[in-house]
Amino acid sequence: MPGMWWVVGVVVLATVFSAYLGWTAQRVERLHARAQSAERALDAHLVRRAAAAAVVAEHGDRVELYAAARLALDAEPGDRESAENDLTRQLRALDLDPGDPAVRALIATSRRVVLARQVHTDLVRDALSARRRLLVRLLRLARRHPRPEYFDIVEPTMPDLPPPLTVPGPTIPPETPLPVQAV
Amino acid sequence: MRIGIVSPYSFDVPGGVQNHIMDLAEALIGLGHEVSVLAPADDDAELPSYVVSAGRAVPLPYNGSVARIAFGPVSTARVRRWLKNGEFDVLHVHEPLSPSLSFLAVLSARGPVVATFHTAMTRSRALAGLQSFLQPVIEKITARIAVSELARKVQVEHLGGGAVEIPNGVAVAKFVSATPLPGWPGTGGALGFLGRFTEPRKGFPLLRSAFVTLAQERPDLRLLVAGPGDPDELYADIPDKLQDRVEFLGLVSEEDKARMLRSVDVYVAPNTGGESFGMILTEAMAAGAAIAASDLDAFRRVLDGGRAGALFPNGDAAALTTLLGDLLDDPRRRAELASCARTVVATFDWPSVANRVLEVYATAIEATDGRVFDDEWS
Repeated sequence: MPGMWWVVGVVVLATVFSAYLGWTAQRVERLHARAQSAERALDAHLVRRAAAAAVVAEHGDRVELYAAARLALDAEPGDRESAENDLTRQLRALDLDPGDPAVRALIATSRRVVLARQVHTDLVRDALSARRRLLVRLLRLARRHPRPEYFDIVEPTMPDLPPPLTVPGPTIPPETPLPVQAV
Repeated sequence: MRIGIVSPYSFDVPGGVQNHIMDLAEALIGLGHEVSVLAPADDDAELPSYVVSAGRAVPLPYNGSVARIAFGPVSTARVRRWLKNGEFDVLHVHEPLSPSLSFLAVLSARGPVVATFHTAMTRSRALAGLQSFLQPVIEKITARIAVSELARKVQVEHLGGGAVEIPNGVAVAKFVSATPLPGWPGTGGALGFLGRFTEPRKGFPLLRSAFVTLAQERPDLRLLVAGPGDPDELYADIPDKLQDRVEFLGLVSEEDKARMLRSVDVYVAPNTGGESFGMILTEAMAAGAAIAASDLDAFRRVLDGGRAGALFPNGDAAALTTLLGDLLDDPRRRAELASCARTVVATFDWPSVANRVLEVYATAIEATDGRVFDDEWS
């Protein structure tokens, strides 16, 4: 009964294919959801950074920095990247007082922006590469999800402050021996 | 936070990755987090209280050395059970692309996954070939950490993803509190070297020639050497009359390493290349030794451009001799270097490194759906 085996074969193939299809659809779904969460997180951290910069600007009467922070907070989606870059430039030119808690908060939020952006970029790349797959394009599996976009800004790093000493005990090394006498 | 960490290698055998994981776990516990470490181990092995055994490890040649790892259906079942019982806020795997528990954990997990890459894998080309096969696994990783610039490069070039560079930490407290070896450093000056002295890139011959020159004028100058290798080879090129002034400790334990670094006036790192970070320098800094190091980029970075340790031109034995002579004659300069080193090394201290890792955890949690995030770890 060779015809029977045909049917079995086709059924098996169809099962495997539909399982793969379901898995791929789920994967596309998950990757887009993650890229979206990462975008929201990045947005939140950018807002926090701008707010922290505004506080520093107010403390030090820095008009330009305050303006840059306001512009970053109010920017429309299309102008946001350049507004954030302006703010980064202003922040890098700052003369920082490590003792000021507002400055410490600003540096901490900047660090979080760097991390959030790194993760966002990676997750967007993963989602885009899933969208490029042949099966995904043919069956338009990604049609319900908006296309994730990279957020193209310069690395918003700021100089790191030395952390407070965490180890109790001598900060100056113990008594050094007498100098060696050259003979 | 509840944190699950996966070690690919067994704790029975000491190694860089295992030490990193233990120090990180202890630092996180010290910061008030709940940590569980899953690692391959014999069921009767003695383990720290925070380690969960995933069953016996099998020796397997991997990436140029023999690693003791666990892989297979039994391990998979244990990984899944650990994940289910753990209810972790974040999963942190180490070396997830080796065939190991880490790989299995990434496969079985959903949610915020952080991965740390330690080695710049030499087989990265083979890895790049496997990329499309590994993609579904790589995709499950939310955030990546590389412990060195080199490891980060491999990430970017071969796996097409970024990584946050967070260097290895150093347990500063352990080094600060170590007691020097009996009779050291003494009053005649003591130099120290730790590493594989037979390996040309470690630059031991430079130090040997500097020591031989200096020892002729300084009757009490001594040299303390630790590291794997044959003592006959060490002593072969040292003149007979100087041999009793060179002490060889062989391969030392972590505790003895700290004691050894506390026993010298000047720690010498004459490496001529191949260093990507300079872990040993951070340890010498923590121990409060003055440092003389070659001006490799990695060393220059760790030593804050020469403020936290004196630099000499790479490969220049005469310059090293002069530098060591100056340092031995100038205890104030040594004290200045050491005190500056103590400030710089705080950046590498485990609690502050662990805080940076926690920021990555928080970022990963935020980027994973279904989690509420608040800011308590920032």
